[in-house]
Amino acid sequence: MSDYESDGEDFNPQPEVDEDDVAPRNDRMPAIDDDEDDAPEEAGEENEEDDEDEEDEEDEEDEVVTRPKKRKKLMRRNQFIEEEAEVDEDEDEEEDENDDFADEVHPDDLLEATQADLDDRHHRELDNRRQAEQNMDAEEVARAMDEKYRRREMMSARRSAAGTVPTSQPTVDDPSIWVLKCRPGKEREVIMSIMKRIDERLRYGRPCHVYSAFERGGSMSGYIYVEADAKQDMMAIVDGVIHLFLGTQPLSIEVKERPDLLRKRKRTTLEPGKFVRVARGPYKGDLAKIYEVSENGISCTLQIVPRLDYGLNEDANAADGGKRKRPAFGRVTDRPPQKLFSEADAKKRHASKMRMIGGGNQRTIEYKGEQYVGGFLYKEHNVNAVSAENVNPRMEELQWFATPTTDGADGMDLLAVQAAQKAGQSGSNFVAGDNVEVYDGEQKGLKGTTVTSKGDIVTIRVTEGDLKGRQIDTPVRTLRKLFRDGDHVKVIGGSKYIDEVGMITKIRDDKITLLCDSTQTEITVFSKDLKRAADSATIGPNSQFDLFDLVQIDASTVGCVIKVDREVLRVLDQQNEVRTLLHTQVSGIVGRNNRAVATDRDGSEIRNDDSVKEHGGENRTGKVIYIHRGQLFVQNREYNENSGVFVTRSTNVVTMAAKSGRAQVGGPDLSGINPALQQPNGGPGAMAPPQTRTFGRDRMIGKTVTVRKGPYKGLLGIVKDTMNDEARIELHTKNKQISIKKDLLTVKDPITGNSTDLGGKFPNRSRGGYGGATPYNGGGGGRTPAWGGASRNGPSWGGATPAAGGGGGGRTPAWGGGGGRTPGWGGGDGSRTAYGGATAYGGATAYGGATAYGGNDGSGTSYGGFNSGSRTPAWGAGAASSSSKSTSNLSAPTPAAYSAPTPGGYGAYSAPTPGGPPLDAPTPGNYSAPTPGNYSAPTPGDYYTTPAAAPTPGAWGGDEDPRYD
Amino acid sequence: MANANNFVPTNQLRNLRACMVCSIVKTENQFKSQGCPNCESFLQLRGEDEQVRACTSQVFEGLITVSNTTKSWVARWQRLEGYVPGVYAVQVEGLLPEDVISAAEDAGVHYIPRDGSVNEALPTDA
Repeated sequence: MSDYESDGEDFNPQPEVDEDDVAPRNDRMPAIDDDEDDAPEEAGEENEEDDEDEEDEEDEEDEVVTRPKKRKKLMRRNQFIEEEAEVDEDEDEEEDENDDFADEVHPDDLLEATQADLDDRHHRELDNRRQAEQNMDAEEVARAMDEKYRRREMMSARRSAAGTVPTSQPTVDDPSIWVLKCRPGKEREVIMSIMKRIDERLRYGRPCHVYSAFERGGSMSGYIYVEADAKQDMMAIVDGVIHLFLGTQPLSIEVKERPDLLRKRKRTTLEPGKFVRVARGPYKGDLAKIYEVSENGISCTLQIVPRLDYGLNEDANAADGGKRKRPAFGRVTDRPPQKLFSEADAKKRHASKMRMIGGGNQRTIEYKGEQYVGGFLYKEHNVNAVSAENVNPRMEELQWFATPTTDGADGMDLLAVQAAQKAGQSGSNFVAGDNVEVYDGEQKGLKGTTVTSKGDIVTIRVTEGDLKGRQIDTPVRTLRKLFRDGDHVKVIGGSKYIDEVGMITKIRDDKITLLCDSTQTEITVFSKDLKRAADSATIGPNSQFDLFDLVQIDASTVGCVIKVDREVLRVLDQQNEVRTLLHTQVSGIVGRNNRAVATDRDGSEIRNDDSVKEHGGENRTGKVIYIHRGQLFVQNREYNENSGVFVTRSTNVVTMAAKSGRAQVGGPDLSGINPALQQPNGGPGAMAPPQTRTFGRDRMIGKTVTVRKGPYKGLLGIVKDTMNDEARIELHTKNKQISIKKDLLTVKDPITGNSTDLGGKFPNRSRGGYGGATPYNGGGGGRTPAWGGASRNGPSWGGATPAAGGGGGGRTPAWGGGGGRTPGWGGGDGSRTAYGGATAYGGATAYGGATAYGGNDGSGTSYGGFNSGSRTPAWGAGAASSSSKSTSNLSAPTPAAYSAPTPGGYGAYSAPTPGGPPLDAPTPGNYSAPTPGNYSAPTPGDYYTTPAAAPTPGAWGGDEDPRYD
Repeated sequence: MANANNFVPTNQLRNLRACMVCSIVKTENQFKSQGCPNCESFLQLRGEDEQVRACTSQVFEGLITVSNTTKSWVARWQRLEGYVPGVYAVQVEGLLPEDVISAAEDAGVHYIPRDGSVNEALPTDA
């Protein structure tokens, strides 16, 4: 206050000073100084003051001025007075007394008064000395003012540097700016080189006519700009700068374009919870959520879905401490897929690199120096390394960050999604004719319809209020669409519900709930994502999956699509569980295998499109649409659940009608025994060769193989997996898996290194069996001679058999039966079947040809058996001539024996045997069983006991495993 | 003033920081040892690691070398008039702590953020 008072005295019009006769002059100067120190305040008033100056001048013109010269001096002081008067007005008590002139009268008038009207006032007692002193004082004040103004100028210079004064537009008088090309990415180095050269020049005191040089990095990569008086000056500086290309002539930038060179781009502000994309580093391009932003705004902590391989792909042989490997230029290295942090995986190899911090919910795991909480990586990034524009998060990405909401409805935080999509918002959401409302800004509350939209400016025609009929441009972000309850709308973007059509049921702010036409469910979306719609919904036309497709879910799981939504598939998997999967989570369509066969609980085969009925349970019926490893996907359109699809085990159903009218095992298939049905050479004899199809686990898996051909020729590896005719091989040499045709592989013995035959062997074997009937690897075969009882040694059946036959012609049929049964027996051991047993028959009947069963599975097995079986009766009849009794014995039991065990025995096997099991199966099974059993014991001695032994079949039939002794 | 070594070798380019007040670019170590040539009076960066980290930013864009801050239009446009010749940034990200801003204002420097959040083509109220 005291300062102000003294100021007031100083700066008030002179008369006042005279009147009060206060403070000595000496006191005033410090006071002035004090005031001047208060720089910011004065700075603020500078402009006003200038204005005042002008006014003053006008005022002065109005008045009649007597002494212009002096006034000039006074004027300077007036300015000063004016300013201080303003300051003092509020508080200065003294002035109340002097209202008449201090407040009301213009300072200039007052000044005039000091000279002209001294006599009129009570100040006239002031003597000349004081008057002179006063004048002198005024001069001093002026001098002080002068000084002060100089300081102000300095101050304003400083301020202009700090930006108070609007930045100056370039003019033609300014130095020119040239653009030069340089190596992209080396801009900063070039600038530094130029800096160095300028420094050198200045150091040696040489004039430098290059005033500045700059680069703008990313947005104008490959260019630098130099500001210089003349081109020569510029060239003198930049010549020879490394990374600078002077091949093309430098261009001068137009004056009006220059400010654009230095335009600053406002960064979108980062807020916690917002979604951004990582711009660099290992997570480049990944979606991340901002966890927190540092105080200085330079960095932020991001929540990221980690991509870790936990060292599983590390090269164990890599030299330690070697140079850090850099990926070759331009090559994108594979990175592990996004997956939440798994403690267990990390422990496998990197337990030592893990550290736990804290506990409970907030447990943080430090792994390789980075922090993981709740499966997410929390990592600090520069704001440079984060892009908040055009984030456009995809549904499957957002899924990671979905936190279950309290109502559990969506699991997706709509607000966060909105925040993420805010950046990408443009006018394209608005279609001409939309009813809109301005909900923010000056024109808040305005309603209208959109006319056009361009960029993020939408033109609307106002429909209500004073401005009705006017067209107004508004920024998109202040607009929201207006809908009414009951409007029929279509979702046009912004969420997974795109293209859904429905009726509005609830409106709250800009969130609108609508009842979907297609699914009859309520969904909530933002009003901006809606448009009025007349059309009806189309369900995800662009999905690659169709309803009822069989799809692969993971390596061991398949499922049938029961609903196709825009974003998700509902899939019924083989465990009869319904899964909801994103399209991207489904690896592909498996498709239908038309050769797939299953057996029902009765042992008859089931194929696609057969009608089946559940046995027990709900007794559901339906048509088989897929067969997958004993599981049937059955469809019945009458059921609502799961689109009418259910999954059941094949052994749990009964076939009702086979599509192709195939013979069903309702009872025994007798056609095989009916000689009349037998064609001489056709039928079973001409049946297609055993299929090489294999079932179950491929025997190649796990085998050591070498590659015979191709780029990997000669390399050794282990078969990890096979598909059709391809195998995936893990090479010994490299940690790599390759796919290669099985044909090109040779199976090696892992120890000896010798080639072994695997796939190819089996056909051979079976053929051998056919031809000579000679070698037997089957137990039965081996035993046969002994069993022959005639103590024939000899692996050769041909030899042995006749003898046996000779032993008792009548017995032969029984023998044959022995042979016949073999297949059945073989059935027990599908993979390894050569059945000698069936073969030889005494006397004329050599059945050798009939015998062998080579296939590695059931399908291969049965031919021989069939032949012998089917023919047996006939043959038996022939044999009857030699011993009719036995024949009759034989023939009689045969059919009976047939019926019972065969189908069962076969049935167990039937699945793989597309060949025609009904025919051949029965034969051997029955036959054989009884025969040998009977024979072996009694044979040599007692011929006629055989029939008596006939009952044995029963005993035999029960036992699947042949015992021949 | 001009004899200060403004050159930064290539291998140091990654350690550059820019003063959030005047936008001068130096390495972190230079700020620590020499302070900011323009703002040292109120920022007092010399020897203060914390202060250097708070008042300078490693996130900046555009590098300008200026040899004459009064004659150069670029310098005027960038509000570099009266500053020492040297290397400056076009745009500096980061928020200056409140107390530093008030310290700057007290020292008579009107602080305008250099992060592009203020449209400088328009005059601003002092």
